[in-house]
Amino acid sequence: MRNQKNKESDSLVSMDWQELERLLEFMEEHGLEEFEYSRGDFRVRLRKPGSGMMLHPGTTPISSEGQRNGQAERAQRRGAVDNDADDGTIEGVQPEAGRNTSKEDQINGQLVKSPIVGTYYEAPNPGASAFVKLGDHVSAGQVICIVEAMKLMNEIESDASGKVTKIFMQNGQPVEYGQPLFAIQPANQA
Amino acid sequence: MFRKILIANRGEIALRVLCACRELDIPTVAVFSEADRNALHVRFADEAVCIGPPRGADSYLNIPHVISAAEITNVDAIHPGYGFLSENANFAEVCEVSHITFIGPSPEVIRIMGEKDRARQEAASAGLPIVPGSAGVIEDENEAAKIAAEIGFPVMIKAAEGGGGRGMREVHRAEDFAKAFQTARNEALQAFGSASVYVEKLIQHPRHIEFQVLGDKHGTVWHFGERECTIQRRHQKLLEESPSPALNSAERESMGKLVAGALMRVGYSSAGTVEFLRDQDGSLYFIEMNTRIQVEHPVTEMVTGADLVKAQIQVAAGARLEDVVEPPEFRGHAIECRINAEDPETFMPSPGRITAFRTPGGPGIRVDTAAHSDAFIPPYYDSLVAKVIAHGRDRHEAIARMRGALDGFVIEGIRTTIPLHRKILADPDFVAGRFDTGFLDRFAPAAEK
Repeated sequence: MRNQKNKESDSLVSMDWQELERLLEFMEEHGLEEFEYSRGDFRVRLRKPGSGMMLHPGTTPISSEGQRNGQAERAQRRGAVDNDADDGTIEGVQPEAGRNTSKEDQINGQLVKSPIVGTYYEAPNPGASAFVKLGDHVSAGQVICIVEAMKLMNEIESDASGKVTKIFMQNGQPVEYGQPLFAIQPANQA
Repeated sequence: MFRKILIANRGEIALRVLCACRELDIPTVAVFSEADRNALHVRFADEAVCIGPPRGADSYLNIPHVISAAEITNVDAIHPGYGFLSENANFAEVCEVSHITFIGPSPEVIRIMGEKDRARQEAASAGLPIVPGSAGVIEDENEAAKIAAEIGFPVMIKAAEGGGGRGMREVHRAEDFAKAFQTARNEALQAFGSASVYVEKLIQHPRHIEFQVLGDKHGTVWHFGERECTIQRRHQKLLEESPSPALNSAERESMGKLVAGALMRVGYSSAGTVEFLRDQDGSLYFIEMNTRIQVEHPVTEMVTGADLVKAQIQVAAGARLEDVVEPPEFRGHAIECRINAEDPETFMPSPGRITAFRTPGGPGIRVDTAAHSDAFIPPYYDSLVAKVIAHGRDRHEAIARMRGALDGFVIEGIRTTIPLHRKILADPDFVAGRFDTGFLDRFAPAAEK
């Protein structure tokens, strides 16, 4: 029993991204809202924002009034989006042991976050092919997606050169300020 | 009624608006800066959107981000609260163009009242008494000096784009006027983007009396009585009460009627406050109008029983005033203390984590706050932590209840102005209702005097 406990605590202390993801799945399976663990200097807290924090395409009512231009089109896109999109986020992961400060960054690369609020589009227009796919190489300054805000299509540029290791958003999904869009593994990191 | 409302604000007023939306069964969207990720308004709203980094200018004041948030959450109305974008006519216009109802008066009215000299002129033509002064802004220094001499010193030079106590400069002697005029114009340009100033007679030892109004979109405006907001430090209100100890009911009725009539002519809708200075001889002079719900609105709510924020939402959706509020009756007396995260003596801001928080209760006590135990008061926004309002059958009872409430309000981990409020409530002049805007000088540290 004691050995098991020690093993547990060891593995939590050196928790890596995959284990955190499994923890998130565990939370999802069991409908948990919050999970907190602390031992000694190490503390991790995972809190699901639920419908309060992030926006889910499925929950936004599709209005047929079409008051605003493109609203019906946007709503259709949202309806088509896969409803089990990744809607759990890691809120407040605080590895106070100090060694995991840029764990996210290390695993996935540099995060490209949205500088504005709006709607994410993966391609320059409907029907066109996406700006980037997983595994593509991009250079700093290259346009990698569009965030539409107030009828303006804002081209979002990558702030790093490297390989696209993760695409966080689904086409047509609403995006808030600071929300991660992509992870780019910088070219000079193996 | 609205399908969904976005609250373009934070802190206690965001919670207040949330409260009204809940009562009306309207789903809510909160917006927040990165500094407010764990704030209560974010947690209690049905949806929330991050709109920027901590600085107000980058988040709560960021019109494109707020409007985008409204679009992606598909709201049909925005409540701007107070401060931030609540009196930004451009924002109100952008809302209109985006087919989102701005819960407040029309952009034109906001614009008129936002230009302080124009508001003065409107008030005058509507029959409200105004402080003797220049007809409008004056660009020329010599002309300004002439007008000042005509009005008679001391005078006040005021920025046309200022307001809320900012952008004002006193001049007591004619020989100081020219320099003060130049400086005032420079300051106004820096602070408000416009050097335009106007000149008014300086009312000495004034009391600050303001009238609450509510209008619908069908031409009806009612007044909800006055508030006395004379207890101020550097033009920032600290304590407000209603009714004013300085007005009798005849004065209240006549000025209230005048105010409501003037605003009906302007076609005013939503909540608003018309501010006056009361001279030592009892004359009331219009100084400015605030076209928003105010911090101290609970004082009026406690005395009249009206729910001003709920009414704002209802009239914005087209309801008639008489269908959503009772014609106001004034019962008893209410006092509000603004508890700020500041040192009670030096007024240095005191942001930080609250380690203990216990709000007072009991008969006639209301607390409006977004703070709680373990909350972090960020340094980026105003220092208001909580509002305590005490209501009693008369002023004496309200004061007694407020004293008890202040004694029972525990906030640890940050400094607050509670000790100062206790001093105010114990002061014999305050208790006698005998004070003017210089009242707080007696508690100021020596350096300020």
